[in-house]
Amino acid sequence: MICRIFNKVLIGIAALACISLSVNATPWDKLTGDQLEQQLTEKFTQGQYSPKGADSCLMCHRKNEAVMAIFDGAHGAMNNKQSPMAGLQCEACHGPLGKHNKGGKEPMIAFGDDSKLSASAQNSVCQGCHNDPKQMAWHTSTHNLEEIACADCHNVHSAKDPALDQLMVNDTCTSCHLKEKADMNKRSSHPLKWDQMTCVDCHSPHGSMNESALNKPTINDTCYSCHAEKRGPLLWEHAPVTENCVTCHNPHGSVNEDMLNSRAPQLCQQCHAPDGHASRVVQEPGVDAFGGGKSCLNCHNKIHGSNHPSGSLFQR
Amino acid sequence: MTFKLNIITVSLLAMSGSVVAANFGVGNANTESVNMDKYQCKRCVSATGYTGSVTLLTGYNSPEDAHAGNALSSDEEGVIAAISGDVRYLNDTGYKASMQAHQLGMDNGFANIKVGKSGLYELELDYQAIKTFEAGDVRSQLWQNDGMLTPSVYPNQFDLALQRENSAIGFSFGEGVYNTFVRFSQEEKTGHQSASFVAPSPTNFGLPVDSTTKQLDAGASLAGDNWLTELNYFGSYYSNNIDDLSLPYMNDVYSAAPDNQAHQLSISGQYQLDRTVMSGRLVTGRMIQDDSLIQVSGNPLQSWDGQIDTFDGRFAVTSMLNNRLRVGASVDHSKRDNKSSSWEFTQYSYNSLSGAFKQNVPQDIERSTYKLNASYRLASGYRVQAGFDRKEIDRSYSEREQTDENNLWAKLNISALDNVNINVKASHGVRGGSEYEVNELTSSEDNALMRKYYLADRTRNAVELKLNHSLLSWVSIDLTGRYAIDDYNATTIGLTESQDYGYDLNISVQLSKDISAYGFAGQQWIDSTQAGSQSFSSPDWQANIQDEFINLGTGISYSGLMEDKLTLGGDYLFSNSISDTYLDGSAVTNSALQYGDYFAYNHSVNMYANYALSPKMALKLSYQYERYYDTDGAQMGINTVPGLTTLGELNHDYNAHQVMLSFSYLLR
Repeated sequence: MICRIFNKVLIGIAALACISLSVNATPWDKLTGDQLEQQLTEKFTQGQYSPKGADSCLMCHRKNEAVMAIFDGAHGAMNNKQSPMAGLQCEACHGPLGKHNKGGKEPMIAFGDDSKLSASAQNSVCQGCHNDPKQMAWHTSTHNLEEIACADCHNVHSAKDPALDQLMVNDTCTSCHLKEKADMNKRSSHPLKWDQMTCVDCHSPHGSMNESALNKPTINDTCYSCHAEKRGPLLWEHAPVTENCVTCHNPHGSVNEDMLNSRAPQLCQQCHAPDGHASRVVQEPGVDAFGGGKSCLNCHNKIHGSNHPSGSLFQR
Repeated sequence: MTFKLNIITVSLLAMSGSVVAANFGVGNANTESVNMDKYQCKRCVSATGYTGSVTLLTGYNSPEDAHAGNALSSDEEGVIAAISGDVRYLNDTGYKASMQAHQLGMDNGFANIKVGKSGLYELELDYQAIKTFEAGDVRSQLWQNDGMLTPSVYPNQFDLALQRENSAIGFSFGEGVYNTFVRFSQEEKTGHQSASFVAPSPTNFGLPVDSTTKQLDAGASLAGDNWLTELNYFGSYYSNNIDDLSLPYMNDVYSAAPDNQAHQLSISGQYQLDRTVMSGRLVTGRMIQDDSLIQVSGNPLQSWDGQIDTFDGRFAVTSMLNNRLRVGASVDHSKRDNKSSSWEFTQYSYNSLSGAFKQNVPQDIERSTYKLNASYRLASGYRVQAGFDRKEIDRSYSEREQTDENNLWAKLNISALDNVNINVKASHGVRGGSEYEVNELTSSEDNALMRKYYLADRTRNAVELKLNHSLLSWVSIDLTGRYAIDDYNATTIGLTESQDYGYDLNISVQLSKDISAYGFAGQQWIDSTQAGSQSFSSPDWQANIQDEFINLGTGISYSGLMEDKLTLGGDYLFSNSISDTYLDGSAVTNSALQYGDYFAYNHSVNMYANYALSPKMALKLSYQYERYYDTDGAQMGINTVPGLTTLGELNHDYNAHQVMLSFSYLLR
């Protein structure tokens, strides 16, 4: 009887130790990233998986809400054969248990900000399963070269992955991309600040085979996917428009209306200086047709190109 | 024996640890000792059945100005209602469904439904409405009906706003090794946008918008252990329901955007050989536009055979030569081959038919981009990167038919310091190209000193510093500072210089388990200088454009109140966009020198209280306030200037409020 009580007390102490270890300093905190990676590689090779799978882990970690949230998402599904929980369970991602549960002195593969494990080592876990076309350009992507870990954006211990939800993805991106976060609040911008549009409507965070990790082959193709009326081809093309939309616009936002880099007439006068009205200095806005209303666009309104047979000056 | 082997394996691994990168993929796992029959998972939680929540929202909206509809998702004055929800279903055999809805019933909202079997197939239905407001209650004397703009003494009142409604259906099928998908979407865009025609004096009007864009995408992919390949088709079909616009006394003063379509076929692949990864893609495309042309004297065609063939190719390789050094290279080639025919068409002069003919010039554009990069780990936590990029562009019918830009960049990443990450980046780019000529077909009338800024010689230097500091375990600070200067050193007339600099600071604080707060501040300045010549000779006026942006925000969330039932929170945002233009030079006679005001600021406040009525029910009360003011010196009254008709002064100055009460029912 005394032995049984003693055993229970010991188990209780061990469980408390596990819980406290999960939130406090761990014995492997003193290891450098390289040392940690080497130790985990050894463990991984030895393959000393737990005899009971997730139950072995949850004996200590079940009171941690963040841990248990795995069952709210796809990675916790037990009836999908592609889910880790239908295979090696927790150890599918966190590596073999080894002696981790015996005093908690052996590290496991951990993810996120507090992990000392290199991004490439963390990501190798995810890439072990996620070898699909969305990852086609990952290895050459800026995020990979900048050593961004999957867990920096994704959270699989959750019903909602913040990188995959329309109402959260912009916050996920702008937690690092501060300038773009500010740009959303400029006088004109795409409706990103209200989550009506998202960063991933245009960009592929996993990288793409296109400039600036865009979803479409060119900048203009990306713009045309929502602004198909500007695609043409048009009988009369405006050369800089055809060449690149960002010649005049900044799609992340601008202090000028219509996301323009500058306003008319000065924007137009950065390219047009003929012997005529376009060369004249417009001294004051709002006093004549050159600096008032829509300025140059009062007359040359079809600035993105015209399909009128007589529209070479983009007036019709 | 096994034990000895393990010791040997471990020893070898320890020796080779600095050469072989860790790969913890489950496919590499040593599962010899695993016996899954003993797995029970008694402590696992089954997520089968329904989970999530359904929310009904109702409240009072007071936008004061239609423009507030952007922030409030509705420009309706009075009581508003909507439904949101996030429901998931899963059964024991793996069938699942999810439904997410956000503010359905308001101008901006979406709904998404997915049903299928995990890892096998999925059917997706999607709906999204986006409405963007530029100005409300705009007045024009013109009424549009069936392509005719009829002037009337009774003003036509409308909102300058565009509503997009996108509906989509998609189906995907596959089992890891192979995957297929097909998706069809249709977007209806309606509303009015600001436009202008010349007849013969300029008249601003509300251009009616009513168009449909259909999109059909399909693809198939195959994956192996170290390779991937994918074949895709993308098709887009644009159809404009608004005709060319005429006046009763003048035909076709405004041509409609023509119907068009675009198709792309793409094949891509990736192959991994040890620690070297290669990827490549070929895309062939065609854009077609053969809508009927307006029939006017001097037009030889019923319809024009607009056709552009595109080709995009890329090959990229990256390799970890050892644990310290990564190198990469890529080649991109993009070609826009304009196959459209060229004809002569009669053109109008400023105010009457001049009889002059002009030939359309179908432009070809070809781009090549070459990139080299290397990343070297100097020591644990110290990494240096460097690269060289070269872009070449060839374009026909241009003042400068060939431009090239060489860009050298370097980065230093330091993560070795306790709780501090430092990233420094610098780049130096030079753009040059073929001789700049005034082309007969494009701008023979331009001043010979003009260099168009997108073609001109340019030197671009930029530096950026990023700091991330976890001051304490509960405080995180991100700071970014940047400076860039573009020098158009061969330009006498046109854009001569542009500087862009600023900073962004972000602080996140977790004050306790229940209280979190954040604050951010950022400023940006863009100073541009350009020169012009009114006398069509050397520069006689300069414009200095000074753009400035300020962005401030803070917020707090306090949960765990009233025995974990109540959460209180609030957010505040201030932004101010300013653009000042200063003129100088002998051609400038105005003593003021400075343009009129051009700025826009807003204060946004959002406060909320979430209260859990029971484990199944929750109430949320929220209040949103928007203060918005913008001004533009170019805006003027409808007939302030003789000969120009505008849509009036469309500046904004409003205080908007929205109070919402929402009731959520939690399904589990």
